[in-house]
Amino acid sequence: MKLPHFSRKTLCIPYGVFLLFFVVVPMLVILFYAFTDDAMHPSFENFVKFFSDPTKLSTIVYSLVIALVTTVVALLIAYPVAYILARSRIKRKYVILMLFVLPMWINFVLRVNAIRELFNLLTQVEAFEGLANANYFKTIFGMVYDFLPFMILPLYTTMTKIDNSLYEASADLGGSAFTTFTRVTLPLSMPGIMSGVTMVFLPSMTNYVVSDMLGNAKVTIIGKFIYTYFGNDWHMGSMIALILLIVVFLSTWLTGGFKADENVRGANL
Amino acid sequence: MNMKRVLSILLSGCLLLPTLGILSGCGGEKVTVLKVYNWEEYIDDGGEGSYVYDMLLDEGKDPDADDAPPIIEDFEKWYEQVYHEKVKVSYSTFGTNEDMYNELKLGNVYDLLCPSEYMIMKLANETKEDGTPYLEKYDKSFFDPSIETNYYIRNVSPYIREKFETNAGLNTPEGEPRWSEYAAGYMWGTTGYVFNPDKVKAEDLEQLGWQVFIDPAYKGKLTAKDNVRDTYFAALGVTFEEQLKALRTQYTDGTLPQKEYTEAITKIFNATNEEAIAKVEPKLMEIKDNIYSFETDTGKADMVNGTIWLNYAWSGDAVYAIDEAELGETDDDGNTVPGTELFLDYFVPDTGTNLFFDGWVMMSDVVERGTKQAAQAFVNYMSMPESAKRNSYYIGYTSVIAGENNEMLDYVDWLYGGEENEEDFYDLSYFFGEEAGTVGIYADEEQRTCRQLFAQFPPEEVISRCAVMDYYRKDASERINELWSRVKAETLDAWAIIVICLVVVAIALFTVFVKFGGKIDFFRTKPKKGYRKVDP
Repeated sequence: MKLPHFSRKTLCIPYGVFLLFFVVVPMLVILFYAFTDDAMHPSFENFVKFFSDPTKLSTIVYSLVIALVTTVVALLIAYPVAYILARSRIKRKYVILMLFVLPMWINFVLRVNAIRELFNLLTQVEAFEGLANANYFKTIFGMVYDFLPFMILPLYTTMTKIDNSLYEASADLGGSAFTTFTRVTLPLSMPGIMSGVTMVFLPSMTNYVVSDMLGNAKVTIIGKFIYTYFGNDWHMGSMIALILLIVVFLSTWLTGGFKADENVRGANL
Repeated sequence: MNMKRVLSILLSGCLLLPTLGILSGCGGEKVTVLKVYNWEEYIDDGGEGSYVYDMLLDEGKDPDADDAPPIIEDFEKWYEQVYHEKVKVSYSTFGTNEDMYNELKLGNVYDLLCPSEYMIMKLANETKEDGTPYLEKYDKSFFDPSIETNYYIRNVSPYIREKFETNAGLNTPEGEPRWSEYAAGYMWGTTGYVFNPDKVKAEDLEQLGWQVFIDPAYKGKLTAKDNVRDTYFAALGVTFEEQLKALRTQYTDGTLPQKEYTEAITKIFNATNEEAIAKVEPKLMEIKDNIYSFETDTGKADMVNGTIWLNYAWSGDAVYAIDEAELGETDDDGNTVPGTELFLDYFVPDTGTNLFFDGWVMMSDVVERGTKQAAQAFVNYMSMPESAKRNSYYIGYTSVIAGENNEMLDYVDWLYGGEENEEDFYDLSYFFGEEAGTVGIYADEEQRTCRQLFAQFPPEEVISRCAVMDYYRKDASERINELWSRVKAETLDAWAIIVICLVVVAIALFTVFVKFGGKIDFFRTKPKKGYRKVDP
């Protein structure tokens, strides 16, 4: 029997169609809405409005700061974990790795809700009363908790790939533990860091479920802003979405997210 | 102009492709598909805890969840019996009026919608992109009480109908269609606070009125709604309380007739001009600082676990929260653990609050789709006293239905009635359109003044100080949305924005330089090409 033969081109068609309808067309629609007014005439009004409104600019800044803090904290927690996991000789390390990844299998709204309830419980203790209004702290806590696995996984995969002989070489040449870390481990885990940072930084700018539930909706990040505007003014909403898209694009480009470097293999989940 | 429509059809077409095969497979008898678009959790869904189920329990039977089918299934059966045609209800839900409006704007078509009054006004005033109106008026015969199946007109509370008309007259400028012609009522209610009487005294609330929102004694212990409509309304109350109070005094003195009084407060609670917004903005900021959270659905839980003392809520949600808190925790045998119950109360500010209606409206597409008869039948079915009881019992809101023979009175009595003491009489004559003092139930003082009965059927005096929301006209809408984003987001000083932008640009330039200049080797350890390939 002759097996049907699909060329590479034909195999690309399903994904191509998907891309066209769910990526390209929606982007074009956003672009179209961003630069039109209510009567659907071309207009730069929203563009001007965005950059002349301190509230909107501030929200972008706040989102950037929240995302930055989230990323740094997540990195500080995830790096040692990934390092220990990758370097240790524990048998069954995948069990430990699994423990970190396991929360991803539970719906994240449920998890955020659970954290909310935990905070509520904590605030009933006098010492933690201040938590009730620590909206920014709670938001960042929730974001870090939510995105931690996305930081650990790429770091772990890159670090397991670092050849043990490199460490030995460093030691043989008289490198201290610190030198080994700064000269061997850190540079070689850079692709993992970049990949993890991209995967945490970008979504934490828009994940308004966390800021609504843990920040008591008093913390407004850019994602929530877009959502609110789409409630009544699609054109402004599209403009904000477009600007966010540009910010995202620029930061991905600058951190080298588009590079097809083979060393990154396995780190880009 | 038609871009949106074409795009949305294309997109939804893609999604629907797989179902086409299934649909074309079944032919035979013609089935009318009635597309109903209603609020989430806003209709009887049968099963445990529904009215039918609890009535069976009451009769001492041991019902099964299947014995209490969702009301929609019952409607489909009833329709086939009465009209000898098959109907299939395709039921979907929305979370906010604005979400619903967006769906319609996208070109989605439904037969029946259940928006709130201000959204009905907006829809009645607007047309689709092709110029056809959004809404279709009910048939003249729909309002003829002599036809047996016209349950809506036969059972609706005359008081509510009259409120519809007066408000439609009040909120409709010359030349705009009156929204009452398009709508048949479904549920109604007020907004107020649910409060924890252990922590908050009713007298204090009476003293404070709307000012409770900015009172430091309640800092971090109350919530506002996370939508501009309700919170802006509350902020108007806070800002113009003095004026509202003065009007109230005039009204109680008898110097200001009801009609003028309602007109005056409606105007205050619907102020959207720049002057009003400028006054409200600082108050909204104060509210934001004072409240615990902006919420849409977490308020009930926060009330029950004691995080907050006051929750700004719609009366139906209030009833639900009061019920839930009262149930307390149950042990393994299903008995309530004593001491876990919480007895919450409901309060309406003296200076006036919001009166809302959610009503059924038909989209103009019913004519083309041939579903007008089924749509009107659906509204009529939902207006039978029995259906009204079922829905109301399930969701906690108050039905607009009174019943031809005041059937709803028995229901209210069954729920909240107490011993027949002369002084415990709770007058509901206004709702049933009877002479004052003739129709009512006997209920204990708590129910009459602050609990579920008070929330579901407020005394006429409460309604006399209520204002109905108007919809925001075009420019007002923009002003208010901008105000809302200023309130929700933090605004930095201009210099801070400039400094941060400069820092960001500097970082970006630095990164670009590192990437492409290659002169600064950050870790100074980057091995030469060839050494990095560590993979075997």
